[in-house]
Amino acid sequence: MSLHKFIHKNVVLQYNHFQLLAISSRKLSIIPSVYDGEQDPGPKFFSSGVQALLKRLTRPDFSKVFRKRTNSNRPVLKTPEYKFLTNEELQSEFSKANKTAARLLQMPPVVKVHQPINEVLSKDPALVGYDNTKYLFTDITFGVPNEDRLIVERDPDGTLQMCDHDTRKRLNQGRKVREPMMFADEEKLNGLLEAEKYEYILDRACIQYEPDELSYQKVTSITYQHVDMKTNYKLLRSTRHFGPLAFYLTWHQSMDNLMLELLQTGVIREAVLLMGLRQAIHEDIAFASDLNALVHQVLPMPVQASKPDSLSEVDIQLDNQCIDCVVKYIAKNSAMKSQQELALQGFREDYQQMVELSRGLRKAHGEA
Amino acid sequence: MGTGSQLGLLCVVMHVPAEKLWKSVTSVSNAGAKKGRGKGAGRIRIRDLNRGQVIGVGKVNMLWPGLSAPVIRGRELLKQQRLPDDPERMEKLIKLRDSMTKFRRLKLSTIERGWSGTRMPGRSIGPPDPVADEEFTGFDTKVLQLRSLLIMKGTLGRTRNYQAMVVTGNGQGLAGFGLGRAKEAPAALRKAKNRAGKKLMHFDIYNGHTIFHDFFTAFGKTKIYVEKKNEGFGLSCHRAIKEICQAIGIKDLRAKVEGSHNLQHIVKAFFIGLLQQRTHQQLAEEKKLHLVEYKDENEYYPTVVASPSVVRTKDEIPKDETLDFIQYVMNDRVVLKKKKFPRFYETMPHYNIYLKKYERYRNHEKIRLNLKIENGEVKSFLNYKYPEENDVKET
Repeated sequence: MSLHKFIHKNVVLQYNHFQLLAISSRKLSIIPSVYDGEQDPGPKFFSSGVQALLKRLTRPDFSKVFRKRTNSNRPVLKTPEYKFLTNEELQSEFSKANKTAARLLQMPPVVKVHQPINEVLSKDPALVGYDNTKYLFTDITFGVPNEDRLIVERDPDGTLQMCDHDTRKRLNQGRKVREPMMFADEEKLNGLLEAEKYEYILDRACIQYEPDELSYQKVTSITYQHVDMKTNYKLLRSTRHFGPLAFYLTWHQSMDNLMLELLQTGVIREAVLLMGLRQAIHEDIAFASDLNALVHQVLPMPVQASKPDSLSEVDIQLDNQCIDCVVKYIAKNSAMKSQQELALQGFREDYQQMVELSRGLRKAHGEA
Repeated sequence: MGTGSQLGLLCVVMHVPAEKLWKSVTSVSNAGAKKGRGKGAGRIRIRDLNRGQVIGVGKVNMLWPGLSAPVIRGRELLKQQRLPDDPERMEKLIKLRDSMTKFRRLKLSTIERGWSGTRMPGRSIGPPDPVADEEFTGFDTKVLQLRSLLIMKGTLGRTRNYQAMVVTGNGQGLAGFGLGRAKEAPAALRKAKNRAGKKLMHFDIYNGHTIFHDFFTAFGKTKIYVEKKNEGFGLSCHRAIKEICQAIGIKDLRAKVEGSHNLQHIVKAFFIGLLQQRTHQQLAEEKKLHLVEYKDENEYYPTVVASPSVVRTKDEIPKDETLDFIQYVMNDRVVLKKKKFPRFYETMPHYNIYLKKYERYRNHEKIRLNLKIENGEVKSFLNYKYPEENDVKET
């Protein structure tokens, strides 16, 4: 019996040893960077210009926005409904759907990490030694928002002070008190990242944390960096997380990989919008006035979900302006000059062919 | 058979042939036979008492050269001799006799069996026979009905005929049903199957899983209300309709049969209903309006499934026109949806008391599950503070 126990213990020890090794060898190498500097990203993020740019950069594809979702709210599927609609009714239904899409694509806010709360309300020496436990007092008035709720603590030494964030979060309830394993265990988060479940991670982070929490910003930062590293932007497009991703990359001056992806996929107008975003955040682009004028031209244009069949002269003119702008950007501001130049060269050749094709077609039809 | 004391009985037995003796045991009176006596599990059967018995082998285990053994074995000439008795001989014989008498049902594997037991309805009988080198690949035939019919004939009197109804299909839109009559059941099945193969019809399946719209269909006194259903709903309908759907390849549907449940009428009504379906494009053209689909899992995004060539405006639609989709496809027939009565206990006073008491515990099940997930057992939060106090464990 004793021998058996001994062996069992030894085996367990060895097993643990092995596991420890495995964890250390697969450790995450991404260092999270959070919004904790001097500058607050909030005002910039919420400004209408930046919001418009981010929404447009999300490139919403309704087949993905309204994709089949099965979650706990929907335990079983329902029978579809049918309606006979006139043209006007159909248009109003589409405008309703646009509102739903806006709700589904509402971006999680990007704000500065909160500061610890150290507000002492009073010190009453008469209460020292009254009890050896803390007392917490909270306002339970119906309708008070959680962030404005008054929550104070009376310490055993008689100090009455405002509670810190973690105590506030516990008393406000509504979220799981214990951190989910996927955030607490780095190995589990790493596994999810390797499986490219970015949307799941970001959605879950939104449920568990407040946007100004350090843990939230760390998790999102790691996820954004992983997406950037693997160039997996298309997995987050048409979701509410693409705006914060683009904002994060631009804020931390690392949006050149995204720019490269835009050039490689031939979405030159969005490349200009990304430049506009950089200008709005950092104001470090030399040809700012030209760029802003171009951004105003591009913004009202419809989203290019796929390559257009033919180009009108207006389109060609706008795209050429965009190309000029990108050339200037690569020369002055880019950190990945050679790769972006190569990508732009490739795009130009394809584009030239398309221009010739559409002009030829128009000529054949006798339109111009 | 008997002992010495039953000599009188023995004498009778000795003078009556076995045939008569067996008849006296197994016979059923005419009136009894009409009631169905002497059939099925309790029936006494004639046993062959000679089974397992060999000439030359008996109670006493003797060796008879030339009868139960060869005369010469090797170079030795065998002699009559008594061998040691086999004590299990009688037991073996009785066991062999008994094995014949027990009533045995024909067993079918669960895959082969039909709707019930070993009866034919619901069973698969393979694809129809090839017609002029055209093979029915991918087809399967299911028996829907097999029954015997009695016909009076002038010369022969009452004769028995078999009638079979089957459905055949490839599960990809092609299906047909057939009716066959013959003197024998297998022949009737074969005829029905081949007739079904010659009367194939094609049905469009919406998104590969269901019908295009709800419909009402009737044949004779049989009325069927059929509902289109979502993916994963399954076939919730009469078993014959289920077999037809499987033959066609429809996966999700609900059907309610009202009136007569005559099986042949159900089959005919359902096929007629399927044939009278209109595609979404036809519906849109009839109405001259867009047909739009809303799905819950897609956040009710309006998907246009069919658009007509010319769309009417609101002013062109008369006030009394049916615009509700379901009402339109059901031809203005309204399905009576009966109000559900409350369960018998819900109106009793104790149910309210129970609800009030349960209010306190309503979330406990979830909490227990969560604790088990997090700690592996149901543990109080005080355990973290006072780990030494964990003797009392809840399970």
